[in-house]
Amino acid sequence: MNFASFEPVIIFTLLNVVMALGLYITALSGQLSMATAAIAGVGGYGSAVLTVKFAWPFLPSVVLAALAAAIVGAFLALVTLKMRDFILKLTTLAFGEALAVLAFNWDYIGGANSFTGIGLKTTIWTALAATAIALYIAWRFDGSRLGLASRAVRDDPVAASAMGVPIARMRTITFALGGALVGMGGAIQAHYMLVISPHDLGFFVSLNFIIFLLFGGLQTLWGPVLGAVLLTALPEVLRFTNEYRLILYGLIIVLVVLLRPDGLLTRTPTGRAIRILGFTLVKARPVAARAAEMSAQPLPSYLLTRQAAE
Amino acid sequence: MELFLQQLANGLVIGSTYAVVAIGFALAFTVLRVINFAHPDIFMVGMFAGLAATAQWPALGLLVTLLAGAAGAGLVGFALERMVIAPLRGRDVLMTLIGTLGVAIVLQNGMALIVGPDPVAYPSLLPRRFIDIGPVALTLRQVANFAICLLLLGLVSLYVRATSYGRATRAIAERPDVAAAFGVNVARICQITILLASMMAGLAAVSVGMLYGSASAFVGLLYGLKAFICMLVAGNRYFEGVMVVALAIGIIEALVTGYLSSSLRDAAAFFVLIGVLYFRPNGLFGSYNT
Amino acid sequence: MSDLLQVTNLAVSYGSVPAVDGVSLAIEPGELRVILGANGAGKTTIIKTLFGLLRPRAGQIRFEGQIDLLGLKPHQIHRLGIAWVPEGRQLWNTLTVADNLRLGGFAEADKALVNKRIGAMFERFPRLRERQEQIAGSLSGGEQQMVAIARALVSAPRLLLMDEPSLGLAPLVVRDVFNLVREINKMGIAILMVEQNARQALKVANWAYLLETGHIVESGPADEIGGKQRVQAVFLGGHA
Repeated sequence: MNFASFEPVIIFTLLNVVMALGLYITALSGQLSMATAAIAGVGGYGSAVLTVKFAWPFLPSVVLAALAAAIVGAFLALVTLKMRDFILKLTTLAFGEALAVLAFNWDYIGGANSFTGIGLKTTIWTALAATAIALYIAWRFDGSRLGLASRAVRDDPVAASAMGVPIARMRTITFALGGALVGMGGAIQAHYMLVISPHDLGFFVSLNFIIFLLFGGLQTLWGPVLGAVLLTALPEVLRFTNEYRLILYGLIIVLVVLLRPDGLLTRTPTGRAIRILGFTLVKARPVAARAAEMSAQPLPSYLLTRQAAE
Repeated sequence: MELFLQQLANGLVIGSTYAVVAIGFALAFTVLRVINFAHPDIFMVGMFAGLAATAQWPALGLLVTLLAGAAGAGLVGFALERMVIAPLRGRDVLMTLIGTLGVAIVLQNGMALIVGPDPVAYPSLLPRRFIDIGPVALTLRQVANFAICLLLLGLVSLYVRATSYGRATRAIAERPDVAAAFGVNVARICQITILLASMMAGLAAVSVGMLYGSASAFVGLLYGLKAFICMLVAGNRYFEGVMVVALAIGIIEALVTGYLSSSLRDAAAFFVLIGVLYFRPNGLFGSYNT
Repeated sequence: MSDLLQVTNLAVSYGSVPAVDGVSLAIEPGELRVILGANGAGKTTIIKTLFGLLRPRAGQIRFEGQIDLLGLKPHQIHRLGIAWVPEGRQLWNTLTVADNLRLGGFAEADKALVNKRIGAMFERFPRLRERQEQIAGSLSGGEQQMVAIARALVSAPRLLLMDEPSLGLAPLVVRDVFNLVREINKMGIAILMVEQNARQALKVANWAYLLETGHIVESGPADEIGGKQRVQAVFLGGHA
């Protein structure tokens, strides 16, 4: 078996996992951002500019690009703070498209002709390392009191703010942290694809990530992982069904949305185990799945608003 | 001046098609409160239904082909509503968007599998002939297309204003709870609404196919985006607003093509969108609070 | 002595937040009962649940002794003969006055009958006849309330559920509204009214409930309830 021929699939899958985890963190505070591809693009373009135009070494470029993406994410959070659900999604969509249009018209980074000439810096080990980092960060965040607080905001914003959780701060943190992961993924992907174009920042690509999440399930961090792996690798593996590939893809999307609207991986009501398709899989750590359990856990003090701390 | 009038006429023809597709979107959005990503592909299915009908029975005239298109599209649309949209009612609007997106992908690629990804020839249901209206030269097909779309738009307008079910449809769009509490079977009206929107789209699709002499599995992409923009620009408060905006965008596109360049044509709609939303984020004619 | 409507131990929650708990009430044909309570007490929650727009966590709702309203769709509940005058009117503001009234009669198959009833409404409310082709959103608050009430009456209901009919109206108009309520009740239509304006409501009702944070804390004949301590508090804190 020629391992090398699988390399592209593996790398794409791993990077998609990284970016899906970034979206998962953002989604933890209750809002699915439709600008994921654009933020990945910030990471991609940013790191490419650094390595190509300024001859920076790879690793620092990725780090700085991830930071830039985090800042953009935080900015998006602030812009959408006061918005309600539907308008918020629409705004993130518009934000993403605006970034895409910006990339299209900015000749310094290639404009309509894409940014080419990026050096190949990514290896399968790079992708693995990035995935490990993303998993670690997501795992720690998910189980931390920060993650708990986010989930409280998602489940019941009114109750959460009544308990002293500052929604603004939570949203900003999740958008920034998620953005950093997404940006990192984008940066590494740019140095594998060697080209990055404005189309990669568009709505349809962002939608892909959302589909990973909805497909895999939002209740555990393994949901987006599963979603990204299955939906990236499967079409490749199904190459022999080439003509039917897209039809199958469409059918899978429809079936999942209808039959498993909560995704493939879900938690049991107590939050203590993960299920797939109805079968209980593994015992999860007893992370509180409901905001109501939050009162048993004290919040870190830097999160508390002044009133709640008194 | 002649160029202006000619492009005005061309624009009206194109715009009337946008209007029919846009109304379908708008109905789904305001009444069912969903973004039906598959609507442009239901349009496409109607186009091919008409094609299939004339392939089977070449002697069919224009009228029957139109009806075949309406029937084919209506069937798919009705099935979509029953199987995908209704079960997802109450859930996040994103789910229905993705669900209908999945259906759109299936329809597009399924049709591409059947007829191939390239455009195919459409039967000429009307003779090629030019009609001169003053300084403006239009083909018979263009005039027919315009007439058909205008008729459909008129019928929709009549329906929502003057029939009991049409009034109920508008009531649901504005206040669904109160409508239900006054005896309106919301689920059934939603079915009927999607059915009508789909049939309209299918009928217009046959007309468009005849107009350009070709049909493609991916024709939905073009009309879908434009129609969506029309809906956003017009706001969802008045259905007639969507029609007016669609005609206007058609005219603007035609003028841009005539006076500037045809490659800027597609950008024109986007500029209108950004411009209008900046000053009136709820659309030109306003929206209900969704 | 058979109740037209009987509610037993109703409990409704918004997500995990309970809004109404252990609520029991009833109304007989031709009665006029009022549920008093301040903002947030849960009054609208009860009305919406009666119409099937909200699903209760627990409890029973029976119509005419046998028909279980739980599990029925709102349009089915309406067709049993129950009509709604919602809080804040909630007219279809982009439709004309006439259209609003016609929609009131949507459930009635005999359209000629509906037109006759609409005619009767215009007789009773000449101002509405003048404005019948006007867009409902352009009318004054008092006129909109007339439309809302007329809309409900067009369906010839047996039971009228009125949610704060006097809300936001000028004092003179409020008096007219309560007179109208009494008039409708005299026609034989049972009315279950939810109100903050305790003083006026108790004058027209024959029975009153006091709702406080989701629980019924007082229940009795209207003329007795007025003297109770808690109701006095509602007088003071209830309406501006």
